[in-house]
Amino acid sequence: MKKKIWLLGFFVVSAMLLAGKVLVVKVMRSNLLAKPDFLSASLAPMQKGAKLELIEMQGNWYLVRNAVGLKGYIHQTAVAESKTNLSGIMPGKKGASEEELALAAKGFNEGNEKKLRGSKGYNFADVDWVMDWNIANTALAAFIREGKLK
Amino acid sequence: MKKLLLICLCFFLLSWKPPINLSKLSKAKKGLELVSGAAHKISEEEEYFIGRAVAANILSQYPLWKNVDITRYLNLIGRALVLKCDRPEIFSGYHFAVLDNDEPNAFSAPGGIILLTLGIVAMAENEDELAAILAHEIQHVVTKDPLKAIKSQRLKALGTFAAGEAIGSSDQVLNIFQDSIMDISGTLLQKGYSRKQEKNADLGAIELLKAAGYDPQALLAMLQKVKAIEKKKAKAFSAHPSASKRIAYVEDNLDQGSVKSSKSSRLTRFKRFVSRHRN
Repeated sequence: MKKKIWLLGFFVVSAMLLAGKVLVVKVMRSNLLAKPDFLSASLAPMQKGAKLELIEMQGNWYLVRNAVGLKGYIHQTAVAESKTNLSGIMPGKKGASEEELALAAKGFNEGNEKKLRGSKGYNFADVDWVMDWNIANTALAAFIREGKLK
Repeated sequence: MKKLLLICLCFFLLSWKPPINLSKLSKAKKGLELVSGAAHKISEEEEYFIGRAVAANILSQYPLWKNVDITRYLNLIGRALVLKCDRPEIFSGYHFAVLDNDEPNAFSAPGGIILLTLGIVAMAENEDELAAILAHEIQHVVTKDPLKAIKSQRLKALGTFAAGEAIGSSDQVLNIFQDSIMDISGTLLQKGYSRKQEKNADLGAIELLKAAGYDPQALLAMLQKVKAIEKKKAKAFSAHPSASKRIAYVEDNLDQGSVKSSKSSRLTRFKRFVSRHRN
């Protein structure tokens, strides 16, 4: 009986720990994935600022639900814990976040990059060329398979 | 049942935090938070913009080799490694490219822009050796080593501006941004990382290579090549610690009977992508 109570307690505490936690996508782009695996199918693209409800943690992955109720996985390094509650999960929230204000204050931002563009000692055109490279997941999966990688 | 209630109550008490009214935080406190924020407090997005500017600075000194085949090949190898690293998702992902320069070298800018010279690409004799170079550079990004090159006085000054609410207005902020870029570029192009940072990147690279299915012995092979040209003042993978010291600790950390994975298919595609571009 005692064991059952402890088990029940464990599940209640776990559920409470997770319930209502909102995660926010902190990278420019990511994907809601079908499995906890970067090479699994993408269920939906995720943009920076998208809010996700945390359902469960699985190692370095989170099982989450997005704004339209779709369940899927996202890697823990792609998200941060949001300070807003679940009512803020729907898109449309305006206004600068604390992080955005801190960013503006520090000057490591797009505004200052624009000021440097065209200056001697900076070649942003080639940076754009480097960053435009995109490798599709299917191509990466085929490359890993062909090379007998993991 | 009482125990269950007790557990719930304990959890509630432990997890409850009093609401913070941000408007009541003094500006000075915000400034202090920024000051205390060193490299690890720089956000993903800030790291991205810093990295772009550092890369832009490097690319103003080293021309880019816009070879589509090799750039694509490097990006495939790099991303196969990134899947297994401790920081696979960064603001705009990892990007790999080649510089048209014969001096063997490799640079990792913040935010995951990794640049290899043609000189170091030419030293690699197979895909695993190329992967070893990339794994080492990825590890620097994972541990945010490039950001640690920013002098603390820059962040202190930024904190002071925030405290004084000189947000975004002044040329001083732009100057600090540029100075921070020069701190990092100076470390990447001249000073090099500390011995400890290099050692950690080497040891991390061994684990990363293993996790991705590459032969970690390839790192040793690359270091032996670096050692052979060290006297010619090559900065390959940075000049310090010396290649001999790096070889010693890399050897100590390689499994003696490390399994030789099948390399034949990788060798075929290495030849297809890289060898045909060699003179």
